[in-house]
Amino acid sequence: MKALNTKTPYFFIAPALLLLGLFSLFPIVVALVISFTDISLESLGDWSSIRFVGLENYLEVFKDPIFMKSLFNTLFYVIIGVPLVIICSLAIALLINFGKARIFRAFRVIFYMPSITNVVAVAVVWSYLYNPQLGLFNYVLNFLHLPSVPWLTDPTMSKVSLIALAVWRGVGVNMIIFLAALQGIPKTYYEAAQLDGATNWKQLTKITIPLLRYAIFFVSITTMIGWLQFFEEPLVMTKGGPLDSTTSVALFIYRNGFQLSNFGYAAAGSFILFIAIIVITLLQFRLQKKEVDY
Amino acid sequence: METMKLNSVKAKPQRKSSVKARRTNRMQQWITGIILALGGFLISIPFIWMILSAFKPEMEVMQIPPTFLPKEFTLENFVNLFENMNFTIYLRNTIIVVLCSFVGLFLNAMAGYAFAKYKFKGREKLFYLVLATMMIPGQVTMIPVYLILNQLHLTNTMAGIVLPGLVGAFSIFLFRQFMSTIPDELLEAARLDGASEFRLFLQIILPISKPILAVQGILTFIAGWNSFLWPLIIANDENLYTLSVGLSLLKGQYGGNFALQMAGSTFMVVPIVIIFMLFQKHIIEGYTISGMK
Amino acid sequence: MKNWLPKLNKKLMVGSLAGTLLLTGALTGCSSGSSSSGKTVINVWGMGEEAKSLPKIAEAFEKENPKIDVKVQAIPWETAHDKLLTAVAAKKGPDVVQMGTTWIPEFGSANALLDLKPYVKKYPELDPVNYYEGSVETTKYKDQTVGVPWYIDTRVLFYRTDLLKKAGFNEAPKTWEELSTAAKKLSERGDNKYGISLDTKEQSLGFMFARQNGAELLDSKGKPHFNDPKFVEAVDYLNSFFKNGSAPKDSGLDIVQGFRGDGILPMFISGPWMVKLINDQAPDLKGKWATAVLPKKENNLSSLGGSNLSVFKYTKQKDASLKFLSFMSKPETQLKWMNMTNSLPAAKKAWEDKSLKEDNFYTTFGEQMKESKPMPVIKQWEPIAQAYLSSFEKIYRGKTTAKKEMDAFNKKSEELLNK
Repeated sequence: MKALNTKTPYFFIAPALLLLGLFSLFPIVVALVISFTDISLESLGDWSSIRFVGLENYLEVFKDPIFMKSLFNTLFYVIIGVPLVIICSLAIALLINFGKARIFRAFRVIFYMPSITNVVAVAVVWSYLYNPQLGLFNYVLNFLHLPSVPWLTDPTMSKVSLIALAVWRGVGVNMIIFLAALQGIPKTYYEAAQLDGATNWKQLTKITIPLLRYAIFFVSITTMIGWLQFFEEPLVMTKGGPLDSTTSVALFIYRNGFQLSNFGYAAAGSFILFIAIIVITLLQFRLQKKEVDY
Repeated sequence: METMKLNSVKAKPQRKSSVKARRTNRMQQWITGIILALGGFLISIPFIWMILSAFKPEMEVMQIPPTFLPKEFTLENFVNLFENMNFTIYLRNTIIVVLCSFVGLFLNAMAGYAFAKYKFKGREKLFYLVLATMMIPGQVTMIPVYLILNQLHLTNTMAGIVLPGLVGAFSIFLFRQFMSTIPDELLEAARLDGASEFRLFLQIILPISKPILAVQGILTFIAGWNSFLWPLIIANDENLYTLSVGLSLLKGQYGGNFALQMAGSTFMVVPIVIIFMLFQKHIIEGYTISGMK
Repeated sequence: MKNWLPKLNKKLMVGSLAGTLLLTGALTGCSSGSSSSGKTVINVWGMGEEAKSLPKIAEAFEKENPKIDVKVQAIPWETAHDKLLTAVAAKKGPDVVQMGTTWIPEFGSANALLDLKPYVKKYPELDPVNYYEGSVETTKYKDQTVGVPWYIDTRVLFYRTDLLKKAGFNEAPKTWEELSTAAKKLSERGDNKYGISLDTKEQSLGFMFARQNGAELLDSKGKPHFNDPKFVEAVDYLNSFFKNGSAPKDSGLDIVQGFRGDGILPMFISGPWMVKLINDQAPDLKGKWATAVLPKKENNLSSLGGSNLSVFKYTKQKDASLKFLSFMSKPETQLKWMNMTNSLPAAKKAWEDKSLKEDNFYTTFGEQMKESKPMPVIKQWEPIAQAYLSSFEKIYRGKTTAKKEMDAFNKKSEELLNK
């Protein structure tokens, strides 16, 4: 890569960065300042009454047992959910890409449908599926002479149920990203491999997966960030219950900060989450660099 | 450009396979199809249910156990929907938002390209800054953003609705990832021909990136089509509401109106499916440029 | 195929061009505050579906006041709070705003609502004497009156007359004891059948039962008494329904879903909005259900809610806004509003109207109105009520006893109140 006119790249990024700076980065700085104050609805109308309280919000958040619980829950969601989403969306994309008949085009639309289903419809249908007595899942289980499962009422099971729901919703977007990435792999590679008599499995592990690395990297970073902000599913399905066992950090922030207008407290919680996300993302970048290096 | 054409010709399948291999291949095709069909059916049940429910009367939607096909077919929900909404205005606003978000898409592509293909001072740091913007929960920054827009006198204007979401880290990042696989030789060749950098971007980079542009086009369309928060916060006038804001007005304080909501979502989803079908063709019609490596 | 992108580019350019054109049009078109015809424009924010009927009422107002133009903006319930927050932060918003009764202390403390006291003389409709005492309480913040009651709601008992009859009860339970017996008996109809649905996410339920047992929530100094034996007894009473299987801990059912058909949940406590929901979602139930005032212990106090109308403090159209408020408070307007939206009028005088007196459903609510009190109007109430919900969850899930948990809850409430 030659160094050309040194101004060119800045010209390309300037519009996007200006907008991001004004509407994302600067507000983040403002939010950081807010996290050191006791700002609430009262002082929102009268800024002179805002007090700086230093680290008090942060200390208090860490003392809050529900916050600690929500941290644990969020980790639980991320550790199980993120790999599941990546594996499922990659598998579906590979299967769809493998097919040659016209019908496989339709599958692209079908597997994308959960992502565009209205959240109210999602809540109604899944509440029915998970209903302890009348739900379809337990009906099927009982039909097979298996005991009912407390889908949304057991502390651990409810987390798993929400993960299943979120995986269902999250597969579509990643799938089309993988599909697009699969197009970048030249068919000649496969032809050469087939001439060498390589099995499908070999082609997959030796050609496809390595060449998809940059897409997998993208999907894993964005999925990780998304799941660390896990929010909508518990809000719609369980409101964080039973006994706060499905409350995520983002839901905690929403509830304590925005329903109760303790903006300082909410901002402090958000920045703890923010820092956690940054650390995890940087780790991912490091790991990727190592992989590329060898 | 010549080289690319050459390559796409080379990429045409010239397979020599035995009859046996062809047969096992067929089997595998069928199995894949069946697996996908089964999975696809299960996965789309809620979606189908949503559409079918739009044609049920309110009392049937909430029935337990739910009915799948409407027992009593009705178009009343749709009639209600159109009577209830300021349809033309909401549609106009939504289309404006969608068009503007495609301008944003272009800006994202430019930024993603620069991060992928140029070396410049501060590249890494600036890129991390971009990524950081997607790591903070949106609600924390909502009030600051509103105050900024208020300072700029953009509240209650279309510009105020569109600007906060015009560019996004997700999209820039996605463009960067995909464009970094474009071989440098291609760019060098064009540069030797004397193409300006911007022309290079328009005439070589964008056409090559067709699959990812199609993906981003779909995502951008959906985001713009469903835009909800800023139209609501910024507008002090229902003349600036979008379709999704109008739809969420159908919800009463204590729930209810399920059938009407289903009709609304069904209506909203139709253009998305159409756009998806139009764009998805291009996802798989990429140029086989990586073959040059 | 290769031309696809250049084509898209052209489209993009055309699109962006059209976008900018429309954008500038929108920019210049919709930002002006007062209309060109010299009329005064007032902006009214109403919430949810109900607000869609507001323009019709506003028309009548405009006819009476040809110089005033009312612009109604309907805001979805789920984001109304956010929208109000940004308005307060920017000190720029509506002229008149609908305020849920529970929001009054919050936005009152933010100094966002105009004190109406000085204007009562000029606009007699705003005088608190026109309204039920309970709803007047919800318009007060400190020594100010920051709103005028608009529509009200109170909770009553909904029950399936046919199922209760079958179980041997010819009328609705009148006391706590009768409620327990009836619920128990109804739950014995079979597997997956219950007697009553007690909404464990409903903030006011526990406090309401405590009041019925004669407990005082906050004393005159504002100190909480949530571990008072009477309060604990009420919590124990509620818990007994979960313990003996009369009420489900997690039914996963929408309230109408449980109420209809076989009546998995044949009784529940809720407000007037349920009347319409039942009629819409379960029209087959007609004649098989009724409402009754709440069962009594020492009293049968219910929880009062609803919405008030307030004038936004930063308005520039104070007079026109107040005029609109007093128009909305007239008994005739309120009756008209009731006919459009099924919400109950707040003006006492409206209740003397025939249409309210002769309708069975409304008479129950009218009667219960006399025995209704709002939850304490303090800004810490929301966090207290949420803390109560999580405490009560620990109790009905059997993690702890009512006595112990209420001690802890009372302590937490004291902390919240001292903040």
